[in-house]
Amino acid sequence: MTMTTCSRRKFVAAMGAAAGAWLARPAMFLARSAPASRVAVGSCREYGPEVLGTLRTMFDQIGGLQDLVRGKTVAVKLNLTGDATDRLGYLPAGLTHWVHPQVVGATVRLLGEAGARRIRLLESPMGTAEPLEEFMLQANWEPRDFLSAAPHVEFENTNYLGYSKKYARFWVPAGGLRFKGYDLNHSYEDCDVFVSLAKLKEHVTAGVTLSMKNCFGITPCTIYGDGSPEDEPSLTPRGGRGPFHEMNRLPSKSAPPAVDLNSSKEPGYGVPRVVADLVAARPVHLAIIDGIHSMAGGEGPWCDHVRHVQPGLLVAGTNCVATDAVCMALMGFDPMADRGTPPFETCDSTLRLAEQLGVGTRDLTQIEVAGTPIAKARFNFRQS
Amino acid sequence: MSLDRKWQPMKWPCGPLEVARRTKSGSMNSDAKEAIEAWGHASALELLKGTPVNCLVVPWAEGGPEDSAQRQALQPLLEAGRRLGMSFVAKIASEADAASAVAAARAAGFAAVMVENPSGQSFALPVIPQFPRDKVAWEKTSTIFSSSENVWPGLNLETMHGDTAVAGPTGIPWVNSNAWFALLAEELAPGRTLWLDFDPPAASTAAHPTGYALAVADSRAYGSRWIISLDDKLLAGLAKGNAQAKQVWQDLCATLAFFESHREWESLRALGALAVVSDFRGENAYLSGEVLNLLNRRQVQFRVIERTRSLPTLTPSLRAILWLDREAPSAEQRSRLLEFAQQGGLVIAADYWGPAGVAPTKKDPALPYTMYNAGKGQIAVAVEGFQDPYQVAVDTHLLLSRRNDLVRLYNPETTNCHCSGDFSSPHEGKRLVQVLNYSSDRAESVTVWLNARVVSARLWRPEAKDARTLEGVAASPGTDFDLPPLSVYCALEYEGTRL
Repeated sequence: MTMTTCSRRKFVAAMGAAAGAWLARPAMFLARSAPASRVAVGSCREYGPEVLGTLRTMFDQIGGLQDLVRGKTVAVKLNLTGDATDRLGYLPAGLTHWVHPQVVGATVRLLGEAGARRIRLLESPMGTAEPLEEFMLQANWEPRDFLSAAPHVEFENTNYLGYSKKYARFWVPAGGLRFKGYDLNHSYEDCDVFVSLAKLKEHVTAGVTLSMKNCFGITPCTIYGDGSPEDEPSLTPRGGRGPFHEMNRLPSKSAPPAVDLNSSKEPGYGVPRVVADLVAARPVHLAIIDGIHSMAGGEGPWCDHVRHVQPGLLVAGTNCVATDAVCMALMGFDPMADRGTPPFETCDSTLRLAEQLGVGTRDLTQIEVAGTPIAKARFNFRQS
Repeated sequence: MSLDRKWQPMKWPCGPLEVARRTKSGSMNSDAKEAIEAWGHASALELLKGTPVNCLVVPWAEGGPEDSAQRQALQPLLEAGRRLGMSFVAKIASEADAASAVAAARAAGFAAVMVENPSGQSFALPVIPQFPRDKVAWEKTSTIFSSSENVWPGLNLETMHGDTAVAGPTGIPWVNSNAWFALLAEELAPGRTLWLDFDPPAASTAAHPTGYALAVADSRAYGSRWIISLDDKLLAGLAKGNAQAKQVWQDLCATLAFFESHREWESLRALGALAVVSDFRGENAYLSGEVLNLLNRRQVQFRVIERTRSLPTLTPSLRAILWLDREAPSAEQRSRLLEFAQQGGLVIAADYWGPAGVAPTKKDPALPYTMYNAGKGQIAVAVEGFQDPYQVAVDTHLLLSRRNDLVRLYNPETTNCHCSGDFSSPHEGKRLVQVLNYSSDRAESVTVWLNARVVSARLWRPEAKDARTLEGVAASPGTDFDLPPLSVYCALEYEGTRL
């Protein structure tokens, strides 16, 4: 393990020691103490050269990337959900349910220009341990475009053990809402800066999928998948993350245990808690959301009643809860909404749960929005 | 008399032999009884007028007491059929006395005999040998030969839960197809025509009209012929003039007619960046056959190379050779393979037989292969040999890299495709991508991606007489073609730039 690993372990140990104190605090106190943040909103009608300029401006608006990434290893979790050959109608995935390759390329370039020492593009592609580059090629992406966008760009499929000999363990501060901790691919530990590069979408189970829900995909299906063995992780992943939805089976016993085996097995209860746990355990330093083109009604072409939309937006912030809150407002939802209110008709709010864990605030009055004002940029997903 | 490769064969269930066979197998029912009786009459041949069916395969000898009755019963049918220009093939089971059965067939005016597991003796009539699929004596094949124990194309019934197709380990629904075997036959029996013998499943997809069209398309798209075989309900329905049955028959014939009108496509050869080398026999037969089947299901386009044939050279359109057999290549073959690698190609094998002293290099941890650099290329050696054909197919595709895909399907689900072209010209000439839907539901929003810049292509469908021009959508790289809803089959024809 690297020096980074040691630092991370010290951090985790410190958080674990404080866990008892955190647990003793009322949830609302944690919410009130969540850090305020600045979020940048950029209008960008199409994918093209304007993406780079818009993102550059936005990163400047949130304080610039240099202080964050100079000389650092930056891990970027992409949102490439589902199979690489899934399309909504005839539209390429980047126009609907995947982050667009031009947004990825522009982000990599700007991270490189800001002095990142190493940029690692990560995703856990559906049910496979194949190299991430191959998964991208299947969607007709060109991985070489990313390699040439900045020095020292790497790829890793994080849906299994990958290049390491053991999984990295992340304990959830305050003990966790669904699991006490999570075992992840080493890439999420062997980095100094963690970026969630997501898509602006609704989600059938979790209401919305933004920078936080994107992190649902950092969990390896060798441990948390439909076909994971009872005791130890499998060598290769099979299937999706059904157990997180249904709690119909537990992760391999080698992983940290569930908080409460008797808690609800309803997907709308479990999935938001897993997501909140993950962003508390593996903090997001930079959240970027691609909403130039997207889809409404669900997270992928496999959902019923979905359609292509073109909000023409990019959003970025250094706090994932605050950034997602701004995104919700841009989508026409109230970020303070909770179960029973759109978009959380059948689920708990991930934003509220993450706020409860002290990750950040969803209260727009505590968030400074730079760039295009929300009122001007709003694109109502339910009325589009 | 000689075997005619233009024959389009059909099983014609009739006579005492068919009754006896059904009774013995327990498959006799009221539909079957009615149909066998009706189809034994000469008038039943009216059904074939104006259709591409021009050759009937009839049961002739099974070594039992019904053989002589069969010969008597079939006389009127044979005479009427010949007047219609029909050719007849007498099917002779392995239990029968082949010599006397052939003599009787000749006397009765048959054009040829189909003999199960022929011993090699010569007969006075042309012989279509028929073998179980895994026991084909390739050196004994004739201009036309047949295989039995094939599969009914379509979604694998054992993996269906109600109307839902269940994904296999590939993540895509399992389908049954004889495509790989037809491609193998093209290599091991070049210039000869394979007749695939398979019947509709008893309780089945066959009730759906597209099932028959798919059975035709899965054979013809890959250069083989299906010996048309109708289920009992359809046989009985046609005998009674049932309108629904007639529609199914007309659709089947329309699909046949479509392929007949595109016979020139049969001269095109399979294209692919991968050459799969094996002897495809004996102990190597199972692994090699399954690897071909699974590569095909992954839409990996490949060329089949029989191990004793000349190994291909590296070209822009051929990037890798998969040496499947445990047997090491001969000295000459080794030299060719090394040359292939040294020029920039990839050789994938179960054992290392390259130059001594070459240190392995690092490769992705998900791929259990030891990589050896050889000149500009590499040799990939499976760490634990080739064991699971599924894994061999997956790993081969990844080692080759999807960068070398010739074609991809988006929203593929139950579809698959086959690329062929004018082999004499890697960069020019006619190119053909045939797309098949293995589900009885229409395939919606399927996009064909070609690894080539193509402005437009001719879209051929059995439902339409003429081709329609389909504009390509520039992708980066390559070109997308968005297909209209696909019932069973369509083909994109264009002039190639790379594919």
